[in-house]
Amino acid sequence: MPKKDPVTGKLKWYKSEGAVSVYSALISILIGMAVGSIIVIIVGMTKSNISTSGVWDGIRLVFLGVFSTGRDSAGQLSFGFNGVNIGNMLFRAVPLIMTGLSVAIAFKTGLFNIGASGQYLMGTMGTLSVGLWLGWTGCPKGIAWLLAFLVGVLLGGLWGAIPGIFKAYLNINEVITCIMTNWIAANLVTWWFDAHESFKNAAEGGKVGYIIPLKNVGVVTPKLLMDKIFAGSQANGGFWIAILIAVAMWIMMTKTTFGYELRACGANRHAAKYAGINDKRNIILSMAIAGALAAAGASLYFLSGNTEFYWSTYQKLPAEGFNGIPVALLAANHPIGVVFSGIFMSMLNISGLQLKYLTAYNEYIADIIIAVIVYLSAFSMLFKTVLSKKIKHDHGNVNAEPEGTEDEDAPEENPKEIASAETEEGGQK
Amino acid sequence: MSEYVIEMNHIRKEFPGIVANDDITLQLRKGEIHALLGENGAGKSTLMSVLFGLYQPEAGEIKKNGEVVKINNPNDATALGIGMVHQHFKLIDVFTVLDNIILGAETTGALGFLKKKEAREKVMALSEKYGLKVDVDAKVEDITVGMQQRVEILKMLYRDNDILIFDEPTAVLTPQEIDELMEIMRGFAKEGKSILFITHKLNEIMAVSDRVTVLRKGKYIGTVNTKDTNKQELSNMMVGRPVQLELKKKEATPGETVLKVEGLTVPSKIHKNNAVNNVSFEVRAGEILCIAGIDGNGQTELIFGLTGLEKASAGTITLCGQDISKASIRKRALAGMSHIPEDRHKHGLVLSYTLEQNLVLQKYKEPRFQNHGFIKFDEVRKYSEKLIKDFDVRSGQGPITVTRSMSGGNQQKAIIARELDRNEPLLIAVQPTRGLDVGAIEHIHNQIVAERDKGHAVLLVSLELEEVMGLSDRILVIYEGEIVGEVDPKKTTPEELGLYMSGAKRQEEGGKADA
Amino acid sequence: MVFLLQQMMLYAVPLMIVALAGVCAERSGVINLALEGIMIFGAFMGVVFVRIFQGAGWTVEQGQLIMLISLILSGICGILFSMLLAFSAINLKADQTIGGTALNMLAPALVMFFIYMIVQQNTMGMAEGGAAGWFMIKPSTFGFPKGYSFGPVGDFFLNKVYLTTYICIIIFILVSIFLYKTKTGMRLRSCGENPQAADSLGINVYKMRYLGVGLSGFLAGVGGFTFAMTTANMTSNGDVAGYGFLALAVMIFGNWTPLNIAGGSILFGLFKCIAATYSTLDINGDGVFMLNELGISPYVYRMLPYIITLVVLAFTSKSSRVPKAEGIPYDKGMR
Repeated sequence: MPKKDPVTGKLKWYKSEGAVSVYSALISILIGMAVGSIIVIIVGMTKSNISTSGVWDGIRLVFLGVFSTGRDSAGQLSFGFNGVNIGNMLFRAVPLIMTGLSVAIAFKTGLFNIGASGQYLMGTMGTLSVGLWLGWTGCPKGIAWLLAFLVGVLLGGLWGAIPGIFKAYLNINEVITCIMTNWIAANLVTWWFDAHESFKNAAEGGKVGYIIPLKNVGVVTPKLLMDKIFAGSQANGGFWIAILIAVAMWIMMTKTTFGYELRACGANRHAAKYAGINDKRNIILSMAIAGALAAAGASLYFLSGNTEFYWSTYQKLPAEGFNGIPVALLAANHPIGVVFSGIFMSMLNISGLQLKYLTAYNEYIADIIIAVIVYLSAFSMLFKTVLSKKIKHDHGNVNAEPEGTEDEDAPEENPKEIASAETEEGGQK
Repeated sequence: MSEYVIEMNHIRKEFPGIVANDDITLQLRKGEIHALLGENGAGKSTLMSVLFGLYQPEAGEIKKNGEVVKINNPNDATALGIGMVHQHFKLIDVFTVLDNIILGAETTGALGFLKKKEAREKVMALSEKYGLKVDVDAKVEDITVGMQQRVEILKMLYRDNDILIFDEPTAVLTPQEIDELMEIMRGFAKEGKSILFITHKLNEIMAVSDRVTVLRKGKYIGTVNTKDTNKQELSNMMVGRPVQLELKKKEATPGETVLKVEGLTVPSKIHKNNAVNNVSFEVRAGEILCIAGIDGNGQTELIFGLTGLEKASAGTITLCGQDISKASIRKRALAGMSHIPEDRHKHGLVLSYTLEQNLVLQKYKEPRFQNHGFIKFDEVRKYSEKLIKDFDVRSGQGPITVTRSMSGGNQQKAIIARELDRNEPLLIAVQPTRGLDVGAIEHIHNQIVAERDKGHAVLLVSLELEEVMGLSDRILVIYEGEIVGEVDPKKTTPEELGLYMSGAKRQEEGGKADA
Repeated sequence: MVFLLQQMMLYAVPLMIVALAGVCAERSGVINLALEGIMIFGAFMGVVFVRIFQGAGWTVEQGQLIMLISLILSGICGILFSMLLAFSAINLKADQTIGGTALNMLAPALVMFFIYMIVQQNTMGMAEGGAAGWFMIKPSTFGFPKGYSFGPVGDFFLNKVYLTTYICIIIFILVSIFLYKTKTGMRLRSCGENPQAADSLGINVYKMRYLGVGLSGFLAGVGGFTFAMTTANMTSNGDVAGYGFLALAVMIFGNWTPLNIAGGSILFGLFKCIAATYSTLDINGDGVFMLNELGISPYVYRMLPYIITLVVLAFTSKSSRVPKAEGIPYDKGMR
């Protein structure tokens, strides 16, 4: 078998499963952007106020929005290194990376955390309240920062544990409970801020309805060189913290017994239970960690200082929560991959804003592209299967079968077993 | 008019990586009972699925009454009068018996509304005529396995099929029910219906069939008249080498009690009654105790109750002198219990994990495999390589093979390696040979006997009467969640066991729990 | 009291029909998490159609006709949109939860994109007038003077109601009968329980699942339109306030059966209605706004439907019967 390394028996790195995941993610991205471009073209052709050059501008911004430097004196789009855009991209990537991690860790345990929005809101509430309160009491800023962050994370973790408890003890689908807890969180948070006038930004005109930003009390994340690299942008040290957390998650999932347990529960809860792993505890812990991560995203976002929170949120859930889903899917739930896909999603958002400012189009084209990518990642297994077949077609026993079917209740009806039993006979001959 | 109602000539069917049927020919005469014999995985079910239109063959032809026919789907098969009782019943649990029988062949009035009255009358008439007693209004999930099979047979009759395929129909029946089924099959044949009877049980073939076609590893071996052959010859044809039909083992020398169960009761998840009701028994060191019974009589729940996978509502379990009635699954395992689970895909393996990860499924927390919560990958590798070697587990990439891609036999070997290597005083083995070929079965049986001879206690649950009779030193029969008899395999007969299994016979006091 | 009951029906009816949409898909074996997205899409298309008819010169006298045609077209758009889910779930055997989530993201993105392209703002309403003026049934619809009363019962059915309430109830009954009393309905349900068995009986599982999802799309599209008209004054803003998800919850605690779903929807409608109107709610007609005077925070009322869902799910989870094969892609080659 020429495709395998003769020493380790492993496939070469560019043919490994991880590489295949990357290829399939890239395919999804390309198709997503192509769909976005097609919409740009179609709309451009049907709208009289958009010229051919307007369409061309739109397409270029879909792909290269983050490198846009505005329009030159002749009114043409110009491109180049835009420190503000790129810095803002990294800044906005932080909550996406964190909610992406949240969804990914839950996924690895076999849970679909669609409740990141609610957890994010709980984190927002905890961080803003503690940050402002400690800021006013004159607590040392470093300690205030840490406590604000930790309380936010803790609240998110507790909130995430609720669907976990429902799942573990009552076997209620976490998707439904997550959606319910999202809306409950939205109401709770609004209620909390509505009842605490002191948190509301009454000083600045036009900022009614917003919570006082944390920079007013000086509880902010240090820049950690980001202001030097991307001068003028909102980027700060939160980005480095997000990367650290992602690496920690990767180590936790792949190197520790705890990660082994979580993944075992996710891949086959019954087998995990059989092996003596406390499946209930792991499910709750997994959701709590997921909740904490989503909340950490909110904490880091608002601890940047200059971000503002519109507190009357009971009718609208924060988009960051749902956008964690495509981030995780695109990264095939790999914690390190999440960093890259988070940055990519953030880039799409920046592109969307460029479209809004510089063309007759609007920012929702980015959301469409993201939705298309999620749609495609739903059958990324198909891409992977096709790619894997191409790569390993001469590699005997690797049946290209979708994952996650082992929980079938009647494995004897499972043709895989019949097929493989027959393989055995053939193979041992 | 051809001599044969159905001919399958030179059929070839491939799946990715394997040839399930390689140039197979099968000819069925009108009014005969034709047995199709082969081991698990010999390609019998695949061949029948081809005949039933579920698979399309890559090569070969099918003839009905001498004319070539194309069977693209089950509808075509039904139109040709071919009906099939599948090994795993194809029934909708939440539908009534009547709905199940008419599904796919409904009579309807205007706008597609169902007309159930006529259907009911037809079903009642058929049921009467062939003595197939069913409760047409009961939901399938509430009726016995035997009745479910009668529903399957009625489905064929309702469609006026005259070529009837029975795929391993006896696996779920007691000896008495098997006799009844044979009688029904003979009746069908007498009426001129033709029957294909798929099995790997030689006794049944000798008892009921006219001719036998043997398959082995996807290949056609031959067709013989039943009256011109014998069991030994058939078994040699089936396996391809002389097979020892009986397991050789020494007399058991039972020692101290290892497991003591008293009054164990496990509630059912489906019914109001207890799945396991007030069961008491003991297993001693150096003996194989077998729990025999028809599938679904509480065996699964009994083992779940013992191992902690399900909560028992009453009773005490003592393992090696330790009360583990309330202990967690892990504590029970550590107290001296290893467990080869019934369902290797559901409980036995994490299929998306690699072989080495599966081999340490209970052990990863031991200090030898972890340091402050970090897994020692080198140790895991070393250990798994040793197990793989000792137990001859074969796989594509050794320790890093994803277990999903392994064959069923090797998956089972991996589980057995893992459990036996834990070297615990009690081994619980539930249907350890299910779905495996003869070679693998022999191997596993020998390992279980070796485990006993090491002085360990073995609790075996099996649905196969031959396995029960051959392997065990003592048999308890379970019926509707209660132990209804204890028998000595050397003194009992399959018929006697059958009476216990069907609830027709029962010892007082649930068979005194050991002497 | 009549007002309260009418309000309750306004909330209950879209829930009911969208929950039934969920049943159609799940009974055929496909989890339809995209109900929310389909509703959003249906609501948007409904508003678009109404605008088109208004633009074509139809007048308020033809209000009911406009409404009917738009309702049906919304349903058809729901079918088209749901086919995206069907294709990924049935043909490509993709994860249905993720596929549904994708549609839930795609719908608001598409809708918002086009709303901005059409009206350059974030909400799109009718070209002229409002839902009440154009589509509501009032005494004047029958030629009676304003303020005319039909008596309590008559008022409940005829005064200040929308025709959609009755249409949806009729559709609900028809689809329920279809599912349980016809050949195709029975076959569809068998595919959600044991597709292998259905296939062995010659039933085309793919076709049945397409039918289930398509039906689901139609009902959710109609539900979206109804929601837009009755509770959003015929506007679309890429949001249906989580109704699609609430409908899923109603479906689950209605145990996937129409009758229980109808009951669940009414219970929900009541709580939604209380949350929306508690401050002006005069239950026994004595001029006292009792709920308002209790001094409980409005947020409690707003949270109630969601909390109740959790509580009800917690108590009913043990007895619930999920269609056995739901969420598992059916592969013809593997059986």
